[in-house]
Amino acid sequence: MSSSISLQHEQSIFERLANLNWLLFLLITGIACVGFAALYSAAGGSLSPWASRQMARFGVAAFGMIIIAIIDIKWWYRLTWPLFFLGLFLLLVVEIMGHVGMGAQRWIDLGFIKLQPSELMKIVVVMALARYFHTATLEDMRRITFLVIPVMVIMAPVGLVLLQPDLGTSLMIIMAGAAMFFMAGASIWLYIGGAIAVAGMIPIAWHFMRDYQKQRVLTFLDPERDPLGAGYHITQSKIALGSGGLEGKGFLEGTQSRLNFLPEKQTDFIFTLWAEEFGLIGGVLLLSLFGLVFLYGLWISVRGRQNYMRYLALGLSVNFSLYVFINIAMVMGLIPVVGAPLPLISYGGTSMLAVMIGFGLMMSCSIHQYTKVSR
Amino acid sequence: MMAMHRLRRNAIKLEGERSSALDLAHGRLVLISAFFGLVYLVFAIRAFDLAVIQAFEMPYESEAVDVVEVADRAETQEVSVVAKGRADIYDRNGELLATTLKTSSLYADTHLIFDPENTARQLVKIFPKLSYGKVLHKLQSGRRFEWIERNIHPDKIEQVMLIGEPGLDFKESYRRFYPQGESTVHMVGYGDIDANGLAGIERSFNNHLNEGRELHLTMDVRLQHILRREIKRSVDKFEAKAGAGVIMDVTNGEILAGVSLPDFDPHYPGGAEKDEIFNMLTLGVYELGSVFKIFSTAAFFENKNVPMSVTFDASEPIKVGRHTIRDYHAENRILTAPEVFMHSSNIGSALMGQAVGTEKLRAFYKDLGLLDTIDFEVREVAKPLVPQPWREINTLTASYGHGVSTTPLHLAGAVASIVNGGYAVKPKLVLDETGEKSSTDVRVVSAETAQRIRQLLRLVVTEGTGSKADVKGYRVGGKTGTAEKIVNGKYDNKKKISSFVGVFPMDAPQYVIYIMVDEPVGQKDTWGYATGGWVAAPAVARTVSSMASVLGIPPAAEGSAPDQFGESLRQFVSTREVSQ
Repeated sequence: MSSSISLQHEQSIFERLANLNWLLFLLITGIACVGFAALYSAAGGSLSPWASRQMARFGVAAFGMIIIAIIDIKWWYRLTWPLFFLGLFLLLVVEIMGHVGMGAQRWIDLGFIKLQPSELMKIVVVMALARYFHTATLEDMRRITFLVIPVMVIMAPVGLVLLQPDLGTSLMIIMAGAAMFFMAGASIWLYIGGAIAVAGMIPIAWHFMRDYQKQRVLTFLDPERDPLGAGYHITQSKIALGSGGLEGKGFLEGTQSRLNFLPEKQTDFIFTLWAEEFGLIGGVLLLSLFGLVFLYGLWISVRGRQNYMRYLALGLSVNFSLYVFINIAMVMGLIPVVGAPLPLISYGGTSMLAVMIGFGLMMSCSIHQYTKVSR
Repeated sequence: MMAMHRLRRNAIKLEGERSSALDLAHGRLVLISAFFGLVYLVFAIRAFDLAVIQAFEMPYESEAVDVVEVADRAETQEVSVVAKGRADIYDRNGELLATTLKTSSLYADTHLIFDPENTARQLVKIFPKLSYGKVLHKLQSGRRFEWIERNIHPDKIEQVMLIGEPGLDFKESYRRFYPQGESTVHMVGYGDIDANGLAGIERSFNNHLNEGRELHLTMDVRLQHILRREIKRSVDKFEAKAGAGVIMDVTNGEILAGVSLPDFDPHYPGGAEKDEIFNMLTLGVYELGSVFKIFSTAAFFENKNVPMSVTFDASEPIKVGRHTIRDYHAENRILTAPEVFMHSSNIGSALMGQAVGTEKLRAFYKDLGLLDTIDFEVREVAKPLVPQPWREINTLTASYGHGVSTTPLHLAGAVASIVNGGYAVKPKLVLDETGEKSSTDVRVVSAETAQRIRQLLRLVVTEGTGSKADVKGYRVGGKTGTAEKIVNGKYDNKKKISSFVGVFPMDAPQYVIYIMVDEPVGQKDTWGYATGGWVAAPAVARTVSSMASVLGIPPAAEGSAPDQFGESLRQFVSTREVSQ
């Protein structure tokens, strides 16, 4: 996988393609195939309506990923701030349009896909932080004034996303940002202080939460308090996970998920369907694939010669893992139902596109690991 | 880890002066990885917990569920699958309102199908609507359960058996059918997939029916259809939101028809909208307006021994505190009691209520059942909204139907209790098993008061606001009501409840027909009016003429019986012009 090309050599397109992280590509495709199989099963053993369209989307997204990967990382470095402000602008646009007579529209229609600026923002924030921390020294990281700008880089999009209101996405941006601060050397006391502050905020946040959000939290704490209402998802999901047992019921044989007991089986709760049919073994296997992708991202980060690549690869793999964690923890009843898709598996274009763009950047970091980005 | 150490060494060689920063970064990377690894570990433990440990404690063991049964439940959600023995419901003439039918559905266990092509060919011959390709696809799907055709005819069962495929089998189920469909849904009700009645008689007599005991309702399906048709016609014509109505036998409170529009198909309750499911007749409470003048006037004559010629000063609006009571059809003069009634004077009625007094008026309304939840066989009944506390102003407004909200059913029952001669009746929907007509001997008004009210009701139709309710030969009497709806705590004069309560035949009342229309819009041919007299009175007239012919009530020949009712009161009425 590692290349032996000399430092200053400008790679041709074919060299770049040859240096593409094909193992990572294989892992991603493998996960996507699990998704196709699960969607095929969710439709009762049929390619339509979900699996075939998901395949087409994956094809388009994979192509886009490769294009992004072979674009020299220094271009992404230079484009970081323009992209960041473009992202902010798009967020602002949907926020305003959402209020002006178009219903609560949070997306921009690209024809084959509906693009949510908030999804792209997750990636762009990571890019912006990587760029800012690129030149930072450890001494810089200990100066509070130095940290004002990156905090604003996180909080500006978070504020706009919170207005939508999309708590899940805001939290993901904050968590990915926090991981990058940590990697860049921010004082560990910031995190301890932050944890205490968050704990203190909980009662206040509770006061501002909407009723349905409160319901979700209460239901999470005790799903059986309303098994046919708000607790229905979780109860059914847990039954389905449990009914799969160790080895599962077999492909196309899951009863809980496919007989409509399980809502959102093709989107948020698709892991449940998979685990019901392929059991604990299938579930752990899928989790391992996700884990390998995360490790691969870390490896790219470790190999990075410059801070921008290191931080970018780390931020992107953390971002990807957060998708996975939030979804899996939700279907397993470890956190409240927040409505987050399982990346590459759940039916839907937005998260697929965002995740694939992330992988493209990650690969670009790897292909161009010897490139010098200007300071 | 090996690789990382090697890389770290390389990094140190490359950028020596930044080694401490890199050490820190790599240390932190390890921390982050460890944290994420921990999360994966938690997931693995949780998955094991759910799949292996908790699976033994699951209250519902999924493996034990019969796959066929599960599929059946999932696929028939929209239609009630009910217990075999659930009894039928009939109307008063033995017309079927709800019944349970056995249906068979054909499915295939594809593992047991030996010759899919031949089987598919044979099946398509038996069920010409099926396509060969689709059936073959199903038979080759490899699934243990695949529906081929639902609810098939008994003849075809035999033909399917003759194919001789062991993989073809039938699933029998019992379903609830409502031959009258949506038109009886708000009275008969509907059920869920587990044979539990969810509304109407199906709900309130759930156990009774499941025990296999039939029910006969007081409803007459013919009148039900007439009433529904006529209300619908008014709702459509006046572009109204909704409508409701009832036909009641005044002698015993039996309900011959009960309608709430919009309604829905009881076979598919899942597809119904909220407003379609809502039963306005029993569950909706409204300020019904001037129809309440019947009650305040009855209370007045019951409590004051005065002749019909008694007068009320309606020359000026009444001011009580910050409230002003005005007349809609203002005459601005002194009115006799019949004039108050026929012109629907709020001022006059308020003065009558004032004369009766708060305590007595309230007690009278209570006797009529207007202040309490109706004890009714359909359990979806609402509690009236009654002023708390009840001050004098409430007495005044309640006299013309404001400030007290009741269901339309309350109103019909109360009117029946007065016009039948003064005996309290309560609405009934289930026919007595003995078949005897229930009678009541609780008096709410004297025979004399009852007679006066009958005369006044007839006068409204011959001379007053209800002239459009008249049907030649049937001597219809009645009272209009046009109430403004309360929107955000204020009366909105654009949104009305327009209603008419009709009684016929007036000389010996037999039926009360109440029709209300929610938010009608004035039309060109009604000169923009959307009042009770324009919207609901004609619907009552149409209902009367249709039901009279269905029930075989002959019209009284013109002039054969003197119309004593309108006639007898003319002496008290000064103006001859009909105000509309």
